[in-house]
Amino acid sequence: MIRPGRVPAAVLAFGLTLACRPPAVPTVPALPSATTGSSATTGLSDPHAPHDYVGRNGMVVAAHPLAAQAGLDMLKSGGNAVDAAVAAAFALNAAEPFASGIGGGGFMLIYRARDRKVTVVNFREKAPAAATPAMFAGLGQAQTEWRLELGTAVAVPGMLAGWSYALGKYGTKTLAKTAARAIEIAERGFPVSATFSQIDKDEYEKLVKNAGESTCYLNGGVPFEPGETFRNPELAATLRRIAARGIEEFYTGDIARKIVAAVRAKGGNLTLADLSAYRAVEVEPLHGTYKGADIYTIPPPGTGGLHLLQLLSVAEGWPLKDWGQNSPAYIHHLGEAMRFVFADKERYDADPDFAALPLARLLSKDRAREIRAEVSADKTAGAYASGPADAVQDRKENTTHVGVIDRDGNIVALTQSINEFFGAGIVPEGTGFPLNDHMADFSTDPKSPNAPNPGRRPASNMGPMILFKDGAPFLSLGSPGGTRIFPSLAQIVLNVLEFGQSLDEAIEAPRFFTDSAGGKARPISVEPRIPGDVLRRLEALGNRITLKEAYDKYFGGAQGIMVLKDKKMILGGADSRRDGVGAGY
Amino acid sequence: MRKSGFVVLILMIAAAAAPLSAQGAPPAFDPPALITSAGQSADVSLATTLARKAGLEATLAKTATRRDLAGHKTLVLVLGASMKGLGAAGIDTAKEKERVRGLLVEAKARDIPVLCLHLGGEQRRGELTDDLIREFLPAAKMAIVVASGDKDGLFARICRDKGIVLKTVDKTLDAVEPLRAAFRK
Repeated sequence: MIRPGRVPAAVLAFGLTLACRPPAVPTVPALPSATTGSSATTGLSDPHAPHDYVGRNGMVVAAHPLAAQAGLDMLKSGGNAVDAAVAAAFALNAAEPFASGIGGGGFMLIYRARDRKVTVVNFREKAPAAATPAMFAGLGQAQTEWRLELGTAVAVPGMLAGWSYALGKYGTKTLAKTAARAIEIAERGFPVSATFSQIDKDEYEKLVKNAGESTCYLNGGVPFEPGETFRNPELAATLRRIAARGIEEFYTGDIARKIVAAVRAKGGNLTLADLSAYRAVEVEPLHGTYKGADIYTIPPPGTGGLHLLQLLSVAEGWPLKDWGQNSPAYIHHLGEAMRFVFADKERYDADPDFAALPLARLLSKDRAREIRAEVSADKTAGAYASGPADAVQDRKENTTHVGVIDRDGNIVALTQSINEFFGAGIVPEGTGFPLNDHMADFSTDPKSPNAPNPGRRPASNMGPMILFKDGAPFLSLGSPGGTRIFPSLAQIVLNVLEFGQSLDEAIEAPRFFTDSAGGKARPISVEPRIPGDVLRRLEALGNRITLKEAYDKYFGGAQGIMVLKDKKMILGGADSRRDGVGAGY
Repeated sequence: MRKSGFVVLILMIAAAAAPLSAQGAPPAFDPPALITSAGQSADVSLATTLARKAGLEATLAKTATRRDLAGHKTLVLVLGASMKGLGAAGIDTAKEKERVRGLLVEAKARDIPVLCLHLGGEQRRGELTDDLIREFLPAAKMAIVVASGDKDGLFARICRDKGIVLKTVDKTLDAVEPLRAAFRK
């Protein structure tokens, strides 16, 4: 019998016995036992050692073991991939409250095996009716606070509308059923991980300022230490109300009134009318190819998918395998391609409901050839034709991704966020959830196609994707990480397709990132596991280097699912840069 | 032979004495204290909360300069680098180090003692923070450190070598008591 668990890639390669490994953080003993881990271990102590979770029937990957478990239990109880994804997403609100939750929004990419259809539910937040293109212009040093930490930072949340839409059309369970585990987690609590603790410390000032020292997100007024128990009874009560009364409670009921009051108390202009008008929408996915493999992803305003397809199209014309993974030539060429793609991003990213994006042109192989022609092997280009310069948004390490495949082969790739960790840090009174600060994803330039406007969705870096080989699903991926999302996803895809790595090897492999801003190259940020002689050669080509940590969540926290059809096996990969785990059966 | 034996004896005595000095009675600092960061992590705000809980008279100036020392009798330096914090402050690591160096020169000139805090534990270590620790910790009379931040003994080594009193605490909140005890009323 296959036992689900995290196993070394080498074990998989030789088809040896599969063994379990404890999850990254302890689970709650009182909750149903986790199949993500057990006392039987591989003896591996390095949390970053690549391990693929294994299943035959289904798999859930998420950024917290309790969320993966919630999804797995939903699958086992007869739920499909959409049910499980929503259960895991709800659970993340309780277990990873700093990265996503009902105060935010996102995108759900769904593959329905029955009719081989890929579709997208867009529940990205919207600007309130009072938003204006110049609302963040000319604020000087106050701009950051207005965009990130005041009521003006809060966009109309879309999360519950999106989950509810997906459940209603593609799921089989009720919202109440999918929320049940999250309520349990919020009530009983769980031991805080090192990741949670660090983020709590990093966001301490914002939490004290906007949520107050007595917030549940602090422990006696100071950040949680690893191992301390975090509980959120107010969130449990909120979710219970929503489970009983439906999402109307959030968009038109008491919770709506509390949201409006909290935002307005912090200088924002959200109204009850904004909340009641919010609707999730279903849209067609974007399609692209890499050496014959079909890739489906979300369309703008989730522009991470668009730029992922662009970057891979550029890369497919280069002899990457000959150059070698993370070789100087590989990093230099791919880095230059990133800079040109970021120039396109700067010029065109916007909500397609309000601005014309030249999607066909950007996705064309001709555009990829043009970019390849601009890249020199000997030096950096130095100039990257861009649009109006926008504020470089590279602080974010936030957001979260859930991946699910069920026994029928349905797949969900769900990326969701409240933007910065703990969002704006504004918690509506007695509700236990922080509100997003996604208004910061709008441009500060009133003339930008991505300027704030009433009802407009800000461009997003998210890019959940499903890759098909010979018409069958092979690889599903997604990641948080702001602007690093599509470059990181592209590197993972290339690690698998070009360098033959197993799923989690590909996820854990050293990453790099660079971009351009205002037409100028920015440094290449690297995990220092990339050798020093490689970095020196990159510098000789004109690149500046910024060293990050060895496994830095700056580069995201990717989760993935791989379907090995010939072995009748499903692999899950979860990023050790955060607390990612998989749970299969 | 006898000479080398004597050297060994001296080294053994020195090695035995060093930990004693590191564990000795904490020096008394005087209020008011100026609290500033070395590395711009959010731990500097946390230090201010702890100081308030300890009943200390203290002023927070995340990017304090020499002039801010006027009127203060203790400099509390909170060690911990954060790229996010540095970005928010609009400074790079070189400028941050330059600022702290200037502050320490001024503190020495004014005979203001330095108390170092490292509150972020293991997660608030890393190349940049370690640079700050190595450069600035030796200027301190005392350090209060959350124990998980010293698993590799970096703080213990520097404090032992430089005769700095080191207080380790298990949790951030536990730093309130040694902080209170370090200051004269």
